[in-house]
Amino acid sequence: MTKSRADLLQGTLDLLILKTLALEPLHGWAVSKRIQLLSRDTLEVNQGSLYPALYRLRDRGLIEAEWGEAENGRRVKVYGLTKKGRTALRTEQEGWRRFRDAVEAILTTAEEGAR
Amino acid sequence: MNRLRWLVRRLRVLFDKKSLEDEMDAEMRFHLEMEIRLHVRAGIDPKEARRRALVAFGGVERHKEHARDVRGARVLDDLVQDARIALRSFARQPAFVLTAVVTLGIGIGGSVAMFGVLDASLFRALPYPESDGLLLGRVARSGEVGWIVSGRDWIDYRAEAESFASLSAFTPFDLSRTVRRGGDAHRVRSMFVSPEIFSTLGVGPLLGRDFAPDDGRPGAEPVVMLAHEYWLRWHGADPELVGDAMSINGLPVRVAGVMPPGFRILQDVDVFLVFREDESWVTARQYHNFLLVGRLAPGVTGTEAQAEIDVISERLAEAYPRTNEDKGLHLAPLRDALVEEYREVLGMLVAAVALVLLIACANVAALQMARGHARSGEMSIRSVMGAGRGRLGRQLLTENAILALAAGALGIALATWLQRGIVAFVSMDQLGPIGADLSGSTMAFGCALSLVTVLGFGAIPAWRVARVGGSVAARGGSRTTADRSATAFRRGLVVAQVALTVVLLAGSGLLARSFAALRSVDPGFETERLLTAEITIPDDAYPDDEATIRFFSELSDRVTDAPAVSAVGLVTLLPIRDPLNNVDVATPEAYGSGAVPTAYQRSVWPGYFNAMGIRLVSGRDVARTDVAGATPVIVLSEQAASSVFGEVDPIGRTVAVDVGRDEPELREVVGVVSDVVTSSLAWGVSGAMYFPFHQRPSRSMRLAVRTTDAAAGIAGIVREELRALDPGVPLAAVATMDEVISASVADRRAVMTVIGLFSAVAVLLALVGLYGVLAYQVSRQRREIGVRIALGAPLDRVARGVLRSGLRLASIGLALGIVAAIGVTTLMRSWLFGVGSLDPVTYLGVAAIVFAVTGLACYGPARRAARVDPVTAFRAE
Repeated sequence: MTKSRADLLQGTLDLLILKTLALEPLHGWAVSKRIQLLSRDTLEVNQGSLYPALYRLRDRGLIEAEWGEAENGRRVKVYGLTKKGRTALRTEQEGWRRFRDAVEAILTTAEEGAR
Repeated sequence: MNRLRWLVRRLRVLFDKKSLEDEMDAEMRFHLEMEIRLHVRAGIDPKEARRRALVAFGGVERHKEHARDVRGARVLDDLVQDARIALRSFARQPAFVLTAVVTLGIGIGGSVAMFGVLDASLFRALPYPESDGLLLGRVARSGEVGWIVSGRDWIDYRAEAESFASLSAFTPFDLSRTVRRGGDAHRVRSMFVSPEIFSTLGVGPLLGRDFAPDDGRPGAEPVVMLAHEYWLRWHGADPELVGDAMSINGLPVRVAGVMPPGFRILQDVDVFLVFREDESWVTARQYHNFLLVGRLAPGVTGTEAQAEIDVISERLAEAYPRTNEDKGLHLAPLRDALVEEYREVLGMLVAAVALVLLIACANVAALQMARGHARSGEMSIRSVMGAGRGRLGRQLLTENAILALAAGALGIALATWLQRGIVAFVSMDQLGPIGADLSGSTMAFGCALSLVTVLGFGAIPAWRVARVGGSVAARGGSRTTADRSATAFRRGLVVAQVALTVVLLAGSGLLARSFAALRSVDPGFETERLLTAEITIPDDAYPDDEATIRFFSELSDRVTDAPAVSAVGLVTLLPIRDPLNNVDVATPEAYGSGAVPTAYQRSVWPGYFNAMGIRLVSGRDVARTDVAGATPVIVLSEQAASSVFGEVDPIGRTVAVDVGRDEPELREVVGVVSDVVTSSLAWGVSGAMYFPFHQRPSRSMRLAVRTTDAAAGIAGIVREELRALDPGVPLAAVATMDEVISASVADRRAVMTVIGLFSAVAVLLALVGLYGVLAYQVSRQRREIGVRIALGAPLDRVARGVLRSGLRLASIGLALGIVAAIGVTTLMRSWLFGVGSLDPVTYLGVAAIVFAVTGLACYGPARRAARVDPVTAFRAE
């Protein structure tokens, strides 16, 4: 718990959820755990923003929900990516990479200038 | 985005809230459980694990709320909540809701029905293609628009005018004729038309051929066109009939075709007959029997056509000064001409409906004000609890929207019924059948109207009061300046209500007084126990005068001898029933010298005057001895006699009568009888002249039977006598004279009744409004009244105080209303008869009603004021 954590950038949560669900359909809790795991515990999704995000994505038709069974045998809602969601993921990924490169470029220049 | 799925989800959010909430709940609970299990697996005590998980998760409710926001449920949730609050508060105040909804429902219902009538009559297009190019031609005398046009003038206009693609003529009378085909004889309504009428209107026959120009020429075979409804009803839509022969009044005619369904020219008839252009009633320039319909030639305007017609009229006036001096033809767009007749009556109805709606709105506004005061406590508590002003405003809007919905629903339901009533009641037959069903635009109008009235007149005062009232209650005080201004506003509303009611009452009072005056007009004959009917014998069975005279002679004798019959009269045209046939009559010297008197001409069977109760002033009645070979004689009415001879005794003198030929007919006056009303009661008596039947027989006669008992029962006996005489002759248009007179004033009665009903509603609404403001005032002043009673004020003085303030409001309203009424009622002057628009009796009556209603409205509140118990009054505040 002492490990330093990064705050999620506004808007990136949607991208992360889409990416996570692109691998396999998951229920809400598993989505948050999976993000935590894949980011090597750097990113922790706040439940208060996870569920609104899930509902929002479903409203936009990017993901869909089905009732499934959880590991403990409980009935639970499992989210999966729709076709539209896949397309959205692709464009968002592109966008994110461009954004990351841009930020990276600025940051390197700044360091060189300081030297 | 998948719109449909989005919509389904939104709707689910609204209607399937419970299951969505459950889903959300289950999902979040599962999340927590998994967290706890994770902690437990890491070796943490289950209790501590649960605590940590909950801390990490944060407020469950807050997350849910957040999630709900995302789902867009918020606005709808609030709406549902507002609606629930509104319904709950309505349930607590059923009297308010009932009054508001019923009041507005009546106002809206009346307005929607009126709109429906206007929509179906004035606003709709004529049922003829390109009807903009159609003009109606009516006679103009010295520049004044009259009615029917001379057939001879029409022939000249048609020949000379180049502004028209075609100019046709028709007789705007409902002429009853007997049709016989095979053995079957029945009466039909018919109309004479010129051959080009259908092509002028732009409507061709459904079956058969259109009339050709030659059909009107002298010597052509007579042809008729059938109306679709008649063809369907009487002939079972028999296609064989087209081109076949039938007989009309005993004359053989050929059926040219059948018009399409619904086709009509100003009135419903069964057959259209082509008139022959060489008959004297057409060719005599002094006989006026036609209305003209013209279609403008391409590129010609109505003004240009009128200018051309005026030139022709001048030429005719020069050529035929005796008949055409100062005579012209007035052209008007057909639509405008047809509608203008009803414009005034519809205007009156619209005004009445608008007044009722305004009164209803004032009522609801006043009610909402009172309610606003009463709930200022509720509003300020909710405001303190954090409800924003927007939220409170939305609450009021929701309440009013619910009221609007209810009032609108009631109004539209009422409108369906009212519209049917108005259409059935106020006849607008020239415009054709008027749909009694609510059209789409009428419904839309109704919905818009309900919204505007309730939101406008309900929300504004409520909002006002809620704002000022909120602060009042929060301060815990009782009456403040703001409160007083609201009270002043309410009083203003009541004054306005009274004033509007006074306008309506004055209008309906004047109409009622006019109607009473009209009904008390002496028609010049006795109307009681008088049965009237129409008898027309066919030409082929009664080919000459001798046969005709024999038939009516026998009929007269048979009916006279029938039981319960005291006298029988036979006449070509009855007073009031048949206002036709007005011709020139003068002394032989004066005849032809420009303006000569005119009189209604009738042939009468001896004994007609006696049967009708028309007084013989001097000379003698016509007699059976006044036969064809004997001296031609005539009986004049007093007015006809004095307009021809002045003071001179007319008996034994000669008059010249226009009979449609070049030369007048000379007749000796043998008698003078009292005058009768020939057309409308409102026009009074007019001059008439009576030919002896034997010298001027007619195959179409009116029967007037004076009975010893009620007239209606005698019809069967008369019918039997007629059947015994000739089973092929039907007895048509049977009606008692009272019914005939009643029908002649039916329009006035209808308008009077409708406006009277609206006035009654207005009075009722004003009563409610007045009562409301006074009752409220008493409840606000309980403490003050309590103090006065405690200090020893007599109870009747307390009660009188209430009455006085009621009377003050009513008096101001009355004064304003009378001023407004004087302005408004001058617009209905043509509907007044025997009373001026300033009729003092009407206004005194209106004042009496207003004060009586005020007294009634004051009674309850005054009693309550007198019963105020000082002790409880102090404790209450």
